[in-house]
Amino acid sequence: MPDLATLLEILIIVVKVSVISGILFSLPLPLTWIERKVAGHIQVRLGPWRVGPHGVLQPFADMVKLLIKEDIVPDRADKFLFKLAPLLSMIPAFLVFVAIPFGEKFAIPFVGKEITLYLSDMNVGILYILAIGGLGIYGMILGGWASNSKYSLLGGLRSSAQMISYEISMSFAAIGVVMLTNSLNLLEMVRSQSGSFLDWNIFYLPVGPVWFVIFIIAALAEINRIPFDLPEDEGTLAAGFHTEYSGMRFSFFMLAEYVAMVTISVLTVIMFFGGWNPPLDISIFHLVPSIFWFLGKVILFIYFFMWLRFTLPRYRYDQLMTIGWKVLIPLSLVNILVTGLMII
Amino acid sequence: MSKGPSRIAEFIKKALFIDFVKGLSITLKYNVSRSITLKYPDEEKWVPDRRFRGQHTLNKDENGRELCVACELCAKVCPTKCITVIPMEDDTGRGIADRVAKVWKVELARCMFCGYCEDACPTRAVRLGRDYELACLDLSCTTREKDELLKPQSIPETIQGGFVVRSKFERTPEGIRVVPDLRMQKKRNI
Repeated sequence: MPDLATLLEILIIVVKVSVISGILFSLPLPLTWIERKVAGHIQVRLGPWRVGPHGVLQPFADMVKLLIKEDIVPDRADKFLFKLAPLLSMIPAFLVFVAIPFGEKFAIPFVGKEITLYLSDMNVGILYILAIGGLGIYGMILGGWASNSKYSLLGGLRSSAQMISYEISMSFAAIGVVMLTNSLNLLEMVRSQSGSFLDWNIFYLPVGPVWFVIFIIAALAEINRIPFDLPEDEGTLAAGFHTEYSGMRFSFFMLAEYVAMVTISVLTVIMFFGGWNPPLDISIFHLVPSIFWFLGKVILFIYFFMWLRFTLPRYRYDQLMTIGWKVLIPLSLVNILVTGLMII
Repeated sequence: MSKGPSRIAEFIKKALFIDFVKGLSITLKYNVSRSITLKYPDEEKWVPDRRFRGQHTLNKDENGRELCVACELCAKVCPTKCITVIPMEDDTGRGIADRVAKVWKVELARCMFCGYCEDACPTRAVRLGRDYELACLDLSCTTREKDELLKPQSIPETIQGGFVVRSKFERTPEGIRVVPDLRMQKKRNI
């Protein structure tokens, strides 16, 4: 019979896991709404407006639509893989959050019990995230292949090639940050950036901004967002790897995509923007709970990705490959050299 | 020698993402600018300018007599032959002359709102009005008879037009209508 303290620990972990998965499952609701609003205002229109005030209930209407939509499986598709693929792309996107810290510690008021704002303090956190995050590509490839449609297959192939090309430079950028902070642990990364904003990794001149640019470009390609959303290039591939999907299965892909966007924003904040550290080391900023600094930065980055999406046109496929192999990888190799020299 | 910035300047431009930043600043400007979409029809509605050519209207003079003398010039000049005029004798004082229109109808499905009929009209009886909501669920609304056209316009002639006003729902026995609230003029020109 385990004692009370152990039971409490287990309970806390269960609560944390369910809260995080609940938030992640409901993420597409606010994010689709915000994305459509941002799109609307950038294109000088209103965006959703009718359903609820400022259209806030629009995502719920979309959710109902996706739930009751007919779920079509193509006749000659590989039924098993077709049904498995959305899950394969969704589960890794969720698994990544095991290693992501949202803050150091949080004291529950009136109880005197402190809980940690992360599920596990993994000492190879960044490695785990890169490894698991890369698994999501299986869903895309299998979904594209199992649909028995040429467009889907092309979308899947494109996404796999894109993933391979950009995973390298993304990992290099991560290596750069690891060199700067001397640790693979995400908590350590944030701790090493504590202080004012000049201590953040992005201001580690001259290599910090370069690592940031490499990381953000590679990450955009990794999560298939414009300007690198070639797997779902609707101009040439209908809808890419999820052309044949409908209803809930399609929304699983969408969910995975949004969760990946949040993951990348979180990683950018942790790796380059000081995590939950306030921008200036003054007492008034420390009054605000660190989780708000963290979430604020993450929201800024989510907005930045949306803003970018409605600014830039999509790249051509050969341009995408050129940027990946001829620019980002050599640049990150040079940058590793420079970072190493600076550290010595 | 090639014109334009040198290769070094171009490289610096690329390395510092100058063009990206320019594009982003433009979209950010649009993001905080006012959107041009109207919340049509139940919240905002456009009042057309006076020169707007919408559905026809047949005018009367200040004594309430029909101005139309059924001369059929409008029907003659109409490029799409959508106006039908049948004259008749009527000396009861309905019109400004003894000759009035027995039938004056326009098929809006064919009309292209060119305004030739109002140019041709010698008595300024026919005018293209400012009603632009002409859609309906069947073909019944495509033909407008004389008595419908003789009704006063929904937007009075005194209002200049060319701006957006608030509008509101109004329940009538025929159903829900959306009417512009012409007293509250929003100064928002289109």
